[in-house]
Amino acid sequence: MSTPIAECALRLLDEEHPLDDYKGRVPRWCTGCGDSAILAAVQRLCRDEQLAPEKTVFVSGIGCSSRFPHYMNTYGFHGLHGRAMPIAEGIKMRRPDLHVFVITGDGDCCSIGTAHWIHALRYNMNMTVLMHDNGIYGLTKNQASPTSPQGLKSKTTPHGTLLEPINPVSVSLGIRNASFVAQAVDWIPDMLHDIIEAAFHHKGFSFVRILQRCPEFMPGRFDEWVQNPDSMLLLDHADGVKVGPNMAKVYRNLEQHDPSDRNRAREIASTYHPMPVGVLYRNAEMPCYEELRKPDRMYTSGIVKSVLEKEFDKFTINPAA
Amino acid sequence: MSETHSPLSAFHFTGQMSGDGLFDIGQHGLHPALFSAYEDLSKLRYDYPLVLIKSANGGSCLISLSDIINEILRTIASPGIDGERLRKHVLRLEAKIRSLTRDGNKGTLADLWQLAEVDLRARGGDNGAGTALDDSMRAARAALGVDGDIVDYDDDTPRKFLSHAWSVAQEDKAGKFSLQLDEMILKLLNILKGDSMRSATAFDTDALKRTVGTSYESAFDFESMSDILSTAFVPGALPGKRWRRIRSVLSTLKAQKFFPPANGNGAKKRRKNSPAYVFDHCAPAIEAFRRRLPKMVALVKAMTIAQLEIDGRYRESTHDSFFRHYDERYLEAGDLAMFPTYLICLRKGHDAKAEKADLVEVLSSGLPFKVLLQNDDIVEELSIGSGQFSFGVRGSQLASLALGLDGVFVLQASGADLYRLRDQVISGVNHSGPALFNIFSGRAGPASRSAKNAPDTPLYLRAAAATESRAFPVFIHDPLSERDKESRVSVGGNPQPEADWTTHRFSFEDADLQKSSADIAFTFVDFAAIDDRYADRFAGVPRSQWRDDMVPVNEFLELDDVTAAHKVPYILMIDDNNVLHRAIVEVRLIQAARRCSEMWRNLRNLDGIDYSRASKAPATKTEPEAPQDEVAAAAKTAVNTKTQADIEELPSAVPGEPYIETPRCTTCDECTKINKRMFAYDDNKQAYIADLSAGTYRQLVEAAESCQVAIIHPGKPINTDEPNLSELMPRAELFN
Repeated sequence: MSTPIAECALRLLDEEHPLDDYKGRVPRWCTGCGDSAILAAVQRLCRDEQLAPEKTVFVSGIGCSSRFPHYMNTYGFHGLHGRAMPIAEGIKMRRPDLHVFVITGDGDCCSIGTAHWIHALRYNMNMTVLMHDNGIYGLTKNQASPTSPQGLKSKTTPHGTLLEPINPVSVSLGIRNASFVAQAVDWIPDMLHDIIEAAFHHKGFSFVRILQRCPEFMPGRFDEWVQNPDSMLLLDHADGVKVGPNMAKVYRNLEQHDPSDRNRAREIASTYHPMPVGVLYRNAEMPCYEELRKPDRMYTSGIVKSVLEKEFDKFTINPAA
Repeated sequence: MSETHSPLSAFHFTGQMSGDGLFDIGQHGLHPALFSAYEDLSKLRYDYPLVLIKSANGGSCLISLSDIINEILRTIASPGIDGERLRKHVLRLEAKIRSLTRDGNKGTLADLWQLAEVDLRARGGDNGAGTALDDSMRAARAALGVDGDIVDYDDDTPRKFLSHAWSVAQEDKAGKFSLQLDEMILKLLNILKGDSMRSATAFDTDALKRTVGTSYESAFDFESMSDILSTAFVPGALPGKRWRRIRSVLSTLKAQKFFPPANGNGAKKRRKNSPAYVFDHCAPAIEAFRRRLPKMVALVKAMTIAQLEIDGRYRESTHDSFFRHYDERYLEAGDLAMFPTYLICLRKGHDAKAEKADLVEVLSSGLPFKVLLQNDDIVEELSIGSGQFSFGVRGSQLASLALGLDGVFVLQASGADLYRLRDQVISGVNHSGPALFNIFSGRAGPASRSAKNAPDTPLYLRAAAATESRAFPVFIHDPLSERDKESRVSVGGNPQPEADWTTHRFSFEDADLQKSSADIAFTFVDFAAIDDRYADRFAGVPRSQWRDDMVPVNEFLELDDVTAAHKVPYILMIDDNNVLHRAIVEVRLIQAARRCSEMWRNLRNLDGIDYSRASKAPATKTEPEAPQDEVAAAAKTAVNTKTQADIEELPSAVPGEPYIETPRCTTCDECTKINKRMFAYDDNKQAYIADLSAGTYRQLVEAAESCQVAIIHPGKPINTDEPNLSELMPRAELFN
């Protein structure tokens, strides 16, 4: 509980965090990697929101994307492949006061981490998930991922992938409890920043799929959209993201899409021509799991001790016996 | 004016009865015709009695007996014969409870339910169907999910109603406050505990032994454990000043007496010693607030310091001096909203003048005082003596004054409207600032006059009549309402708010015993007719003297002066045998009715209901901003496929000068890798040309070619002596 006067007291502190306060180590991504744009957008968000670095945590799995926590000067957890979400959920349950971000990739999230991803959507815990989708396993040097385009030749698919790629946005919209689903691209940094900002402000599980260029292993994959602004479809709405007039002059293909319209969101998400960018679905009324599980009493040290002792007593071995 | 009309007109203009025929309505027991349907309230299912629910559990804390019974029947009474039988039994039970309450029996709903059940069983229920009655009673009792004190309508009901709503709100606030305070205390204790666990004392052999307990003492080598722990942990005790500050804050938080503790420990004792928040006058309430103010300041200060310490954001260099000078001047509305509110129950009729100044101070203070101003008479006797009727003026005066004060929640209503407006009453009770509840109890004059004003008309009915007749209309002013500022007063709680007077369908038999019906208005004059003090302002007219120039009061009020001079106003009344009569009205009462109508219209104007002009045009949907409209329209046109270079970009400052569309930069490092002095990142980590002279035109062109979103525009070379320009220029042109 914060008293109003506490807000005044805090304003007395001259603690402003410039963007550099959020910079961690020098990024080792390839030149031209879309991860850099995402990093820049997230650091801008942290600066604009003045997030306390000690109250912010980035949780990642394994992949190029998952180097992210090392490049942020906040708390971070670089976890196992596909396991970023359960770690983030544990952090959120125990420390609901922290700002929790999850950085994952297409392989980390849609392959090994699929089960966690599906149920994380169901839990709808308050965190922001950024899925860097470059359509390839880049860190391990060129293996096909679940979102690789059909026919892609890689080290594991020398004759080309046989299957249609999974559409993470469509899958997310199919989960009943999903409360925020958006799609962004790394080559429109303003929209990328605004979408991440909207995701951060949403109370619940915010899933943002970011189509991200990989110049090393997937060069030219997105050229069709990067070089042709009219092949992008920007979703504009007061409840989603507002497209500014300058942006609208470059990207003229706009649609007024109400994020509460789940059916229309599914239609929009199912196509890449044009490529939709914006907030597809948002439902602020969906309850968060950590609120549903909020205990009705405080866990004082006395209670914790008595519960632990009760459990340990079940396995007690009396040394005197 | 003919000789035969003159007695009627004479009475209308002078109030004097002359000639034969006209009679005193008081002696014949006449009352307004529209009251015929409400002769015996005990046979009607209406808002009373009311149950003051003890534990609302998210539901309402005020529910009428009828609504409780309706909910029970909705749950257990299925369609069909069995359901009808059950319905009949339960409704009889309700009638019995109502009767017990009317007879003065007090207690909870459960108590009276029990008494009513016993009575019903004693009478045997349906003949030979005692089992059916038992089953019905059992089912109904099982479906009864609430309990609380049961109250009927009397002149103390407004106070009981508001007091209950207030106390439930206080309990809810107390629960939330105590939980949050306990959480704060726990977190501070954790800080101190963490400190003590890192201290040398915690690693002491004896301390470690105590944590394990005596049962397994021999299983551990505590000395070795102490040695290891002492070296493993980095010492770092809390600075002494911080430790003392946290201890001081903790003692203030634990010692607060404004609310009882959440865990109930010592709650009874604490409740007994807790300060009073209900008063009968403003002065002691103000005095109590002032007396408690220093403790409030101390608690807010302690909570603020606690919050900063828990977040690790207390800075002694800044905050020590801030809190040293902190006093009541820094308290904000949000701080005060945490504390209990004060309930002041004022009853007009005693020391109203002395209270007025204090009341204005209370309402204009912005402090969380809730004031019940109960009016027991909306027609002051003094004004009667002077010849002018000032109905409800003094009562409404304060309410109108409160409207002009910023941030005051105002609710005016009669006691009969309270149940219907319970949600708004609860909103007022929960309002963070002052609230005024101006309530008419239905009494006609102070209690001492009740013997003279024989209560033939139940108080509830009299109160309802005040609302129906516009004599004491409902209005609500909620400062936090989302309505526009000009129409924050709501009169929607009145019956038929768009009309000057309420009208009701009245069925009767004519002289030929044929059924007929007509719409009859209920005006201020009808309200006055139920008050014995005005009996001499009316004169009953025998049927044989009914004339065409007699018009109902509501129609009379619409006439122009010339026409009205030839008409005589009347109202319809009935006697105890339900025979219809007409009673003509004296002119001063008509003038009062006219003033009443004017006041009602003014009130409706405040709500934006303008009776004199066409109603306001409905608010139009806000049109989208023009640029977005143009954009949306553009989006609907055919999309032309263009390459990046063909897009019409924002013009550069100077034609030919190189530039970067910085807002569209994706921070990919392509250009900075080529020349990190020529290209740099701004505060948003997006590239711009930092120093053109730090690199070559070739580097500009190569950066443009490698930029993945093609936002670098090389322009013309500034150094025309640079080699290979003829090769570079055509390459640059693709990006210019």
